[in-house]
Order: sequence, then structure tokens, then C-alpha cells
Amino acid sequence: MLQSGMTEKSDRKKEMTRVSKPDFFFSPRTVAIVGATPVKGRISNIILESLRRIGFPGRVFPVNPKYSSIEGMDCYPSLTDIKEEVDVAVFAVPAALTPGLIRDARDDIKGAVVISGGFAEAGAEGITLENELRGLSSSVRIIGPNCMGIYDTVSRLDTFFISFERIKRPQKGRLSIISQSGSFAVTAMDELAAEGIGVARVVSYGNKADMNEADCLEFLADDEHTGAVAVYIESVSDGRRFVAAAAACSAKKPVLAIKVGKTAEAAGAARSHTGAIAGRYEVYRAAFKKAGIIELGGYEDFISACKAYGMGLPSARGRRVMIITDGGGIGVALADACAWARLQAAPLPKELHDEMKKTVPSYFAVSNPMDLTGSATDGLFADSLEKTMAGDHYDIAIVAPMWGPPALSDNLPKLIADKARKSGKPVIICTPGGEFTRSRMELFRKQGLPVFLTPESAVKAAMVLADGKITQRAPV
Amino acid sequence: MDNEKIKNIVKDASDAGKKTLSEPVAKEILRLSSISVPIFCVVQDMEDAVKNAEEIGYPVVLKIISPDIVHKSDMHGVSVGIKNSGELEEKMSFMILAVADESPTACIEGFIIEKMAPNGVEVIVGVVKDEQFGPVVMFGLGGAAVELMKDVAFRLAPVDKNEAVEMMREVKGYPLLAGFRGSSAKDIEAVADVIVKLAGMISETDGIKEFEINPLIVHEHGVVAVDARAVLESPGQIKAA
Repeated sequence: MLQSGMTEKSDRKKEMTRVSKPDFFFSPRTVAIVGATPVKGRISNIILESLRRIGFPGRVFPVNPKYSSIEGMDCYPSLTDIKEEVDVAVFAVPAALTPGLIRDARDDIKGAVVISGGFAEAGAEGITLENELRGLSSSVRIIGPNCMGIYDTVSRLDTFFISFERIKRPQKGRLSIISQSGSFAVTAMDELAAEGIGVARVVSYGNKADMNEADCLEFLADDEHTGAVAVYIESVSDGRRFVAAAAACSAKKPVLAIKVGKTAEAAGAARSHTGAIAGRYEVYRAAFKKAGIIELGGYEDFISACKAYGMGLPSARGRRVMIITDGGGIGVALADACAWARLQAAPLPKELHDEMKKTVPSYFAVSNPMDLTGSATDGLFADSLEKTMAGDHYDIAIVAPMWGPPALSDNLPKLIADKARKSGKPVIICTPGGEFTRSRMELFRKQGLPVFLTPESAVKAAMVLADGKITQRAPV
Repeated sequence: MDNEKIKNIVKDASDAGKKTLSEPVAKEILRLSSISVPIFCVVQDMEDAVKNAEEIGYPVVLKIISPDIVHKSDMHGVSVGIKNSGELEEKMSFMILAVADESPTACIEGFIIEKMAPNGVEVIVGVVKDEQFGPVVMFGLGGAAVELMKDVAFRLAPVDKNEAVEMMREVKGYPLLAGFRGSSAKDIEAVADVIVKLAGMISETDGIKEFEINPLIVHEHGVVAVDARAVLESPGQIKAA
């Protein structure tokens, strides 16, 4: 082992890394894959493949004493043998070997992504190993263990060990996602990719031996590539630091969070009513409020919110919603869902009402929801959207075209998108239906409009856009 | 708020090995936090009780003081609306027998004779220290049913007045305070003030794990904390200031 005689070097390194923030994880120039293998389907081989696919612009160093080269790249026997400084070393080797390997390389690497499981989640032995990792975090910043690591469309780093065939990667966008659960991050990425929605940075930090949600939020708050942040939480590591980091971030961009494990029992042995009622989730909600975090109730809410912000829609300036549809029933269902979400689908003010009367055929009832009926045309949808969203009458529009009326054509999505852009306000599409309708959803996505199958999910998206309004918040 | 005195009270109780604070001590902390409590005194026997009740003036409330009885009213440990000395003697005898029957091993430290507060809307204001997030404050409507209804709102402490008012508006029962079906509007400002003060008190006081006013009676003008309880942190949990 190389441990003896290295103390001085590591002390110097310790000072260096502690003052520098872990931002280098998001702009690495060099990446090493420890335990790299040419065997297809193995985790470390998938990561090599992922890096190639995403087009990582820096240098990649496979590390494995068993090979001299892997897929045309020089393979190094150890991290210490690499001549350049390694920004991020990815460890996909058995848990028991990991702390020793990081310790040996602590002067050669800035950060480690520990993919391997078998740490604190696996029992007593694993807890000891994780404590060893934590001890090393004063010289090497660590993401993980038991995680997917980073998928980053800005730096073009991808340490996710799931093949592209199974899980699609989203394109570049402005939404960043940070998650304790690797599978949650992966599933959200796959859903967003299928919706044509992009992401900036995705971080899965697993057991959080070192880097946690607060570290990520501190970085993302000032990250110019991130327009909104979605967080998946099982438990936070340092409550007050989390609240401070999230508050600083939410003062600059919307922060959305889902907390799972809501029904866990209240803290035992409480003698007051307050103690008995103050379950974990109530306290989390209180923390979210303090931090200006938009609370998401479940998986569907999480995806709806990611779709709204991932499409790059602006936050709404208020809670006034205009509903435009050619299906009366769906219009009313949307209005009901708005009321439940504390959004106001108020009738048109008189001047706007009079103006709309001139726009649409005389037999139309002008109201909110605006029902264009079976006589709807592309033009009527576009004109109604343009007129109602001009001026300061409404903050958000939900447009719900039912594809029945024969006059509606494939040009409709583009017309709506043009008017939406012109208004500068968020416009959401809701198209319930079957085969034909679903085949048309892609047309809206291509135009950069978030499209939802149900009134409830569309309204949920509208709600988070209204909640995302950045306002002055109470100091933490 | 008199921080030093509150800290000393908590330290003395903790040093004496106590896990909870008795009602008179909890109310002393409220008084030191400038939260209004009814006039009361602690008595040990019947003669003492009658003498003090005369001074306080009827109607009075009689309550038992025991570290072993958590929910006093469940154990016949509270008697309200006592109008004269005869009634006081009768209720006190009954209480001693009932408590002896319900919890024979309970240590009885004495009795409280307290000025009966006029009717109003009953609310609960509590604070608890969470392991992860530190002090948290809760507001809810209504006395004993609060655990059933859970019509409550939480915030991380400390809170400012705006946050306190926002908490009150969050609960479904808020119209009962704001004036509902002809009932008068209650003193919302005064409740907000109590929320702010209690949240501030726990944020600044080591050693208290839970502190709860239940009920706080809200009138058109002013509020009064008619019952309070406190749970102390076990000595290992108390962090150095």
C-alpha cells in the first residue's frame, strides 16, 4: 500500500478541497472509471458507453489492473498511475474495496462518485464502510454511495449505469433534478425524454455519505444553466442547512419537492398533542414553507411539475386561469380542478367579453371556460387565446382541444404555440382522448407546449406555475 | 420575555431529574414570556383552597397537580365553574377519591385554584423540537379533539407575525375565530402574538422538548392560556448553548 509517507500531501489536499466548493462535479475535464471492463452489460462498461453516447468532451481514463486497454482507450492499473489530475473518479467496484481505493488515491482525485451499493443500506458491516467513506470526505468530495451519480447535459457527463436501450436520456434543458433515489431519477428522466422535455443536471446521491441535497441546492442556486430545481426527498441530512440552501435557491428560481414516506409514525413518547400530531411529514411541510419550496403531493404531481418547468414555461404572475376548449364537459372539469387548486377561473371582464363577442360567431356563449363547441376551428382557438391573454386579465391559459370537430387540423398546435409565445404567459395543453388524440400529442410537444392527458394533471401543472412566482420570502 | 429566569427554571427542573414541568411552573414560563394566564394559586389542603378561592373570587377552576397524570381531564383531575365554597369542598373531596381510584400510584403535588376564564373560542398553540429541523410551532382549533381532527398548521420556529396569521388562516376552523354565523370576531392579533412568543421562547431555550398551551381561550379582546404543559429534553439531548 502507498499510504505511508503520503500524509503531508494529503494534508495539503485537504485544505485545497475544503475551500473549493464541489462545483467541479458539474464541469469535469477528466473522468476515471475504476473497475472498467470491456465486458458488455457490466455496470462500468455501460458507464463507458454512456460517456461515449453523450459525447463527454474531456478525457476518460479506464482503471483496471487486468487490462492494458479497453475499447481503444489506455487502461491504467490504478488512479495513481494517471498523470493528469482526475476531477471525477467513478467507483463501480465492491463496497468493501471502495474506501481503501479512495484513500490510496486521495491525492490524485478531486471527487468520487460511488455507484456501488452494500453500504449503510445493507446493515452493520456496510455502516462501518460508509463511515470510512465519510471520514475520507475531508480530502475527496463524494457523491453516493448506492447511487446513479450525475447525468449532466451541460458538462455532458453521464455516470448512470442503465443502458440507453432501457432508459432514454432527456435532451438539454433548464430543469435540474436532484434525488436520493436512483430509480426515481432514472424513471423521471425516461418520462421526460419521452415527452421531449430537457434537463440541465440530474444528480442521484443515494446514501449521502458526503454530498447531500443542500450541497446540490447551493450549487444549483447560482447555476446559470438551471431554471428550476425538482427535488426527491426521503429524508434530509441536516434540516436547517437544507432549509437555508433551499431558501437561497428558491429566491432565484422555483424549487419543487416531493417527500415520500409521509405516513411514518409520529415521534414516539410524545406527551403533548403537538408532539403526537407532529409527524415527520407535517414538519417537512413546515420546512418547505419556510424555504419557499413548492410541495408536490406524489409521483404524478412530480412529473406534471417537471413537464411544466422542463418545457421552459415562465412562472405565472398570478392565479387567474383562462380555459379555452371545444368540449363543454372537459371545460367544466378543468374549472372544478382549478377551484380545488386555489386557481381562479373567473368570468371575462366586461370589456374583454364585448371584444370576444365580436371575435366569435354570435351563437357562442362567451364565458370562462370558453366553449368553442363542435364549430371550433384552428383560427377560433388561436384568436380566443390571443385576445384573452392580451392585457392583464389572466395569468395562465389552459387550452383543451378535443379533436372531434372536423375543422381542427394539424396546424392547430403551431398556431397555439405562436400565440402563447406572443403572450409571454404560460400556456398548458390538455387533450384527453384515445388513439387519434394521443397521436397528436407529439405535435404540441414539438411546439414546446406541455401536454397533459387529464384535466387534473394539467391543472396541477398550472398550480405549480402559479406557486412558482418568486416573491420576497421571510428570512430563515 | 425574561430569558434568564426561564433558563434557570428549566435548568433547576432538569437538575432535579424532572421529565416534565408541572402546570404552575409551565404557567410561570408563560408569564415570563408575556403570555397572559389566569390568576391562580397552588394549595395543599381544603382549608387553604377555600381561603384562596375567596381571595381570587368565584367562579374558580380546581385542578390536580401530578407529574404522573398527563391528561388531567381524563382522570377527573379538572373541575370547572365552581361557584362557592360548599361546591369547592364537595368537588375537591370527589377529585381526591376519583384520582386515587383511577391512578392510585400517582404522586399528588397539590391543587391549583384558578380564576375561571370566560367562554371563548378554544385554540391550541404548541411547540416541539424536531430532531431534524429543530423547533417547530403548531396552531390548531379546539381543545381535546385536536388529535382527532388534526386541523392544525405547522411552521419552523421562530416565526414572525405574518407567518403566525398565515398559519391561523390555513386551518379549516379559522372562520370560528374570524366570526362565523353571527358570532363575533375574536382577537386574532393576540393569538398571533402568542404564536410568535411561544415559537421564540422554544427557539431560545435549551432543555424544553415540547411546550403546549391547550387550550388558549380567545376572546373578542385578548386571550388567556388556561392550561399548559411542558416536556423536558432528557439531559443527554440538551446541547450546550
